[in-house]
Amino acid sequence: MIFFAFLILPAGMYLFRSPLLAALSLPEQSTSLAFGFLLLFAFLGGKIIHRLKLPRITGFLLAGMICGPYILKLLKTSDVTDFQLFDGLALSLIALTAGGEMKIGEIRKRMRTISSLVLMQSVFIILGFLAIGFVLKPFIPFVSQMTAAQNTAVWLLLGTLATATSPSTTIAVINETGADGPMSDLVLTTAVFKDFFIIIFFAFALSFSRSLVGPGTSFDLGFLLRILRDIGGSLLIGLAVGLAIILYLRFIRRDITLFILGIAFFTYQISHHHGFHPLLICLLAGFLVENYSPHGDRLIQAIEKSSLPVYVIFFAISGASLDLNALREGWPLALLLVVWRGVLKFAGTYVGARINGENQDVRRFAWTGFISQAGVALGMAIMIERTFPEWGGMFKTIVLAVIAINQVIGPIFLQKMIYRAGEA
Amino acid sequence: MRVLYAFGLLVLIAFLGSRFLFRRSKVLSPWSFLLLSGLLYILLGLLLGKVGLNILSPDVLRELTPLICLGLGWLGFLFGFQLEYRYLRRFPGKYLGLSLIQTVFIFLLTVLCTLPLLRVLFPQEAAFLLAGIAVAFGILWTIHSPSLINAAAGSLPNKGNYYYLARFITSISGFWGIVGLALLDSFWHYPFFKDQPLLYGILVFVGGTVLSVGMGFLFFALTKKRPPEKDLLVFLLGFVFFVSGAAFYFNIPPLYTGMVLGITFSNFTRLHEVIYPLLFSTEKNLYVVFLLLIGALWEFHLDVRIAALVLLLIVLRVAGEMLPLSAARRILRFPFALPPRFGLSFLSTGGVGIAFAVSVKMSFPLPLTDVFLTAALISILATELFSPLALRWSLLKLDRNQ
Repeated sequence: MIFFAFLILPAGMYLFRSPLLAALSLPEQSTSLAFGFLLLFAFLGGKIIHRLKLPRITGFLLAGMICGPYILKLLKTSDVTDFQLFDGLALSLIALTAGGEMKIGEIRKRMRTISSLVLMQSVFIILGFLAIGFVLKPFIPFVSQMTAAQNTAVWLLLGTLATATSPSTTIAVINETGADGPMSDLVLTTAVFKDFFIIIFFAFALSFSRSLVGPGTSFDLGFLLRILRDIGGSLLIGLAVGLAIILYLRFIRRDITLFILGIAFFTYQISHHHGFHPLLICLLAGFLVENYSPHGDRLIQAIEKSSLPVYVIFFAISGASLDLNALREGWPLALLLVVWRGVLKFAGTYVGARINGENQDVRRFAWTGFISQAGVALGMAIMIERTFPEWGGMFKTIVLAVIAINQVIGPIFLQKMIYRAGEA
Repeated sequence: MRVLYAFGLLVLIAFLGSRFLFRRSKVLSPWSFLLLSGLLYILLGLLLGKVGLNILSPDVLRELTPLICLGLGWLGFLFGFQLEYRYLRRFPGKYLGLSLIQTVFIFLLTVLCTLPLLRVLFPQEAAFLLAGIAVAFGILWTIHSPSLINAAAGSLPNKGNYYYLARFITSISGFWGIVGLALLDSFWHYPFFKDQPLLYGILVFVGGTVLSVGMGFLFFALTKKRPPEKDLLVFLLGFVFFVSGAAFYFNIPPLYTGMVLGITFSNFTRLHEVIYPLLFSTEKNLYVVFLLLIGALWEFHLDVRIAALVLLLIVLRVAGEMLPLSAARRILRFPFALPPRFGLSFLSTGGVGIAFAVSVKMSFPLPLTDVFLTAALISILATELFSPLALRWSLLKLDRNQ
């Protein structure tokens, strides 16, 4: 029946979009229909994929890609843009859960390992990308004519982007598999920390690259300060939101889901209009509730109730948003970079874990938790495109192709490794 | 800065929601019912919307349209899900007859009285538009809500025939209203309503019905082997979103498609004991968000014309509920007498009435439907305020006399 429904839904959607029925419709009112369709189609996709012993998230993503604007075209690009609000709400809820999963005791205990993993991964990947950049320079049209300094800037930025991970995907896979163990805890906390670190590092890298690329351009301190202001502001708002949740859970206690939805909406609004980071705001808020009040469990329970639809929506929209044209154009190079990134992730994680005496499971498998890429990397690519309009478009195409591959294979790798490590 | 206002208001709303709203008080008063029914959220939404702080600005509302659509579909589904044949057949057929007579009477009375007034108040508007608005008022006033009677159930120690009859009529009448709305939308289909062939209306109405029934079957088939509760929630959200989205896309009311989906699913599934708690646990959150959005969407303005319409509508509501009962009793040869004030127990239109008014506004985005929405919402709020007193005069006193 699931297969039948999986086939009949797109057929129905195709009929709705056909010229025959489109004449009877109001095309500008298609967002709700597209949303309902995506929710059902992606959920069924997740169920089918799950039968193949793959993570449901991969099914949600693939379903989003299949019905999105590049393959079946059942969703229009404008539909996907209109889903932005729901995407933002889902991200806030996922980040709140992630913050709530971070136990301060655990972090203190493993701070050295976390720092070491973040540092080693970053060093390995950035140096690795700079190295491959010089090897590949003659073969890539848009960098072949660049000076050495400009080429360095491009690969420094690509390396920085390659370091980024999608913590939301990692959280979702860990939640779905019900993983519980030292490796899963470490991967989750590191993925979140790394994101924070990468956003700051990216600000430096971008400012530095500008000074390398533009003749006579100096290091852009103003840009750096703006990014730091956004981060600082996000942390302050996160503090206020966390406090509000604690007070609410302490004194009111009723209708927590409704309140959390309101918080997610507020976070979306303030981030969308003022450039703050919803991920940081909600992570910090969740972290505060978990670690500085006795209400962490209640918060997680309230979000857990609606976690499945949130995941379906978030990952299906992610799938539908992936630029498959970019993948079609740049897949050979993208594939090469994905493999190279994977090798460097493994090496960085292995060395980082080994320095701190982590067990074999962490050394061998933890890198799989850092493969997925989504919003943060995408956001950085867009910033780069705007900052370097001469080659930023081509740069973004490659990055989008890399993200598309990583986002599909990441959850599969992580799930397999969680099972192999015996944590689920 | 506006965002900070929003944050403050959010906390306030949450506080109000948790402390006062939706709580049952021992003595049913107008104020307590207004709180209980959550209608105060419309006023809060108004404060947040364009005419107030403009936090829920038209742009934000445009982004939130799917939520309004979901809210309408959800209300329709919830209503339809309760129309289970196994439950309804317990009531005598005469109850249905009475409900039909009352519906037809109040519809005709409202249309015939509002149309001349609309023509006087809005002489510049096209006649077919004014007729459409009069029909919409007529259908709106056929709708009742059982929530007030359910809320007062605790005050009725002796739940006799009157109570069950009132509950039946208030439960079933929404069905006629929603079907009426679907017919209005189909045969007066915006933006083609001027030169629309009859076949077109039939196609839209039948198409919407077939789609919802089909999706109801699919929903049933997918959940036949009892899925986990989380999966059921996704299916529920997905199907309601899909049919209400399809309704929006073809400009028919999501209330109708949601209701048909609910009826179909309810009469096949055996998961009632799982679905009801799921529906009720989600209902309040969605309903609050829905009411807030409606309040924000409401372009409130009050002038003499709207005041005149509101006044007439309130009078028609009271008259329409009371007048046909004695005649209907005679026609149907009712087994028990219906007291003259019995009709007063049906004044409340509840959430379905509000959803209806919003549906009309969304289906027909015209300046005249702004007038409709304002007059309808003020009338609904006024009758809601008055309805607990009216219920006390009719059912509660009756109960004491029994």
